[in-house]
Amino acid sequence: MLQYVFVEHPFFALTSLLYLASTIAYGLAWVSPSRLPGRAGTALMVAGVALNTAVIAGRWVEAGRAPFKSLFESLVFFAFCIALLYVVFERLYKTRLFGVAAGLMTFGSMAYALTKWDAEIVKLPPALQSGWFVPHVMVYFVGYAAVAIATGVAVVQLLSSRIPFVHRLTTMKAGSVLSGEPLDLDRISYDAVRFGFVLLTVGLLVGSVWAKSAWGDFWVWDPKENWSLVTWLIYGAYLHLRKVRGWRGDRAAWVAIIGFAVVMFTYLGISMLPTAEESAHVYTGT
Amino acid sequence: MSTSPTPAGPSPAASVSAGAREARLTTLLVFGAMAIGAILQIWIPPGPTTLVAATGGASLVVLGLSFVVPGRLRSTLSGFRFTSSLLIALAIFAILGTLILQGKPAELYRAKYPAVAGLILALRFDDIFHGLPYAGLMALFGAAILASASLRLPLSARRAGFFIAHVGLLVSGAGAAASSMLSVRGRIDLFAGGDVAHQVRVTRGGVATGAFEKLPFQLRLDQFDLVNYETEYRIGYYEKVRIVREGVVMDDFKLKTSFDAYRVDVFNSRAEPIPDLDRHRLPGGDSFRVKAFYPDFEVATRTTPASEGPPALLVTLAGRSTWLQAGEVVSTPDGTLAVAFGQQRPAPPPGVSTSVLVSMSDRQAVVHRADGDGAQPLAEGLSLLGGVVRIDRLLAHSARGAFYQTRSREPRNPAVVIETSVHGLVSETLATAAQPRGVFLRDGQSALVFEKRDKEVKAFLSHVTAGQGPTFARAVISVNDPFDFGGWTLYQVNYNPEDPTYSGLEAVRDPGVLWVFVGFALICVGVFYMLYVEPRFRGGGIDRQAPVAPADS
Repeated sequence: MLQYVFVEHPFFALTSLLYLASTIAYGLAWVSPSRLPGRAGTALMVAGVALNTAVIAGRWVEAGRAPFKSLFESLVFFAFCIALLYVVFERLYKTRLFGVAAGLMTFGSMAYALTKWDAEIVKLPPALQSGWFVPHVMVYFVGYAAVAIATGVAVVQLLSSRIPFVHRLTTMKAGSVLSGEPLDLDRISYDAVRFGFVLLTVGLLVGSVWAKSAWGDFWVWDPKENWSLVTWLIYGAYLHLRKVRGWRGDRAAWVAIIGFAVVMFTYLGISMLPTAEESAHVYTGT
Repeated sequence: MSTSPTPAGPSPAASVSAGAREARLTTLLVFGAMAIGAILQIWIPPGPTTLVAATGGASLVVLGLSFVVPGRLRSTLSGFRFTSSLLIALAIFAILGTLILQGKPAELYRAKYPAVAGLILALRFDDIFHGLPYAGLMALFGAAILASASLRLPLSARRAGFFIAHVGLLVSGAGAAASSMLSVRGRIDLFAGGDVAHQVRVTRGGVATGAFEKLPFQLRLDQFDLVNYETEYRIGYYEKVRIVREGVVMDDFKLKTSFDAYRVDVFNSRAEPIPDLDRHRLPGGDSFRVKAFYPDFEVATRTTPASEGPPALLVTLAGRSTWLQAGEVVSTPDGTLAVAFGQQRPAPPPGVSTSVLVSMSDRQAVVHRADGDGAQPLAEGLSLLGGVVRIDRLLAHSARGAFYQTRSREPRNPAVVIETSVHGLVSETLATAAQPRGVFLRDGQSALVFEKRDKEVKAFLSHVTAGQGPTFARAVISVNDPFDFGGWTLYQVNYNPEDPTYSGLEAVRDPGVLWVFVGFALICVGVFYMLYVEPRFRGGGIDRQAPVAPADS
């Protein structure tokens, strides 16, 4: 299988390896007093993003359409979104602490993509030949990436109150943390959810407008629509909980994690539902 | 959806007591709404009208009661506990709607969910989103939005986002209600060449109701185009999978991936395809490569020198070269001239006016006519009958074998030679797209198939003319590109691959959709404003002023 992956999809495989290498480097930064592993992690992650961009662009040209049709293509794009957003977050919050979480997610997404064999370029059916296709998918996946990062931060947040080593990492002044300041994990997670929620809202509504222009109905109770609504309700509840009830810390982190679990089911699990056959959203090759 | 800021001040005991009362009231409202809906549903069947009427009516009643009934009803409606309970209940309904097939015949539920079919049908969960329990929750949701939005009045820039988002929810909800109650949807089936429609066959939930709605205009289908993607020839990789079909477990082959048989320059669509001769690794560990690609395949024969075997002659007759072995004849298409070749002098072919009889042992070429023969010594390069016949080559002994070639560059009969390596054992197989068959790999668990793909629909387009009195308009309707005319929107939804003149259109008149989209815009603006603009009024932190919940809250 690995031989097949490396021979037939070398650039996808290389991108995965870059993400894996960055994960390892970020992991080393946790335990090394030197700044070198952390910097290497960032460099590898940026290289991964660059190669991932090239891979997506190449496939876009080869397919003559946006490469978001199959599960394989969407996973590659998902990895790209997580990596890109993580790099921005790293600069924004001046910390490399979450590099391992982001690296694991990007590598996991690429590795899962490479185990899918629907790597061939399939034709775009008439329903997907719409100006709404690209914005709908892009907005959603950047939103997914944002809540994925929020979840990574939430996991670190939960672990930091239970594992002294992780707690030290979140407050250390050298190595993984660039700024030298203790991190407000709760705030970072909230910022990511907030950003993701806006995009999930726009994605849901753009999808509805697209459904109207394609089928004449803005809401058809498609399983994916329903689960997207559930996702939106959960993150809506998260924001309400923070704003009104003042939920912070572990409880907010758990809601963020549950929300992401539902996001993942919405993304990957719809094909398991008994109503999946009636959905217009089930990926080919699942 | 919610809510007022948590009030400060009351004693812990009072807070607990108030919280317990709110929890009880929330439980009563949410479960009460569902229970009342379930009971009323015995007499009132689910449907869009039921949903809208019940939601709207109950919503206003609940809201009205919250203003006149003493106690905590209004504050409960606008509180977070109520909102969160309601959101959870709505989410559960949304999930149930994806677990239970919707809108199917009762027999299907009895067959598919034998243990719970009775419950599903009794609670009308077969149409869960149009039932009264769901309407009850939606009514509470509407009342909650109105109650919590009203708490934001008078409006200020510091809290406009919440208000705008909730007004957006109300507007889109009202639009959806109008859409559900007032919209008309139906099918128009037309055939190209001037077929005209004056009415719509009304449908509900995709099923014809038997009713018709007259169109305020006439619609003519002038032309229908079914556009396919360009034909491709690919090598599909199939793997054996176990499937259950009609209750029987069986093996089947499923397409896992496919490979190019040839490559096309994506930047130059006119360039000729180049065979993809690279070796490809397969997931099971085997490998293959396309050893040869023939766009217009045929089997030809080739004659070569040999140490033994019959003599052979390469002759050009009327510009066409042919190898002849002893005993064979070649003639012109009109049959007036022939060349016969033999070890001894061959007999003249019957019915041919002029023949050239070539004898290998005599080393002679005899031009035979009705008025007599003329012999010449046989030699390579010998030209006869003014150059119409030319002896090109002579072989004392020859062998003849078949070989593959392409007649032209056009893909009239594509074929490939696939070289597979299975367990290190290399073999070759000829595969033609006209007669696809599997080249089996490891233990018969997977196979390669050279196949033609030419039925993939790229677009279907209806060229229509709509006329209403002196006004008329022409348009091309395709999927994702509907046509608005006379208050109706026409969508391209169907075609028939067996009848390229048929076009299926969906006609929709929906007065509510504009408000749905206005509501959507307000929700987007409100959410963005609430999360990114409002915090600036509060000095940078949206939730810095919010109270932190005690550990046990």
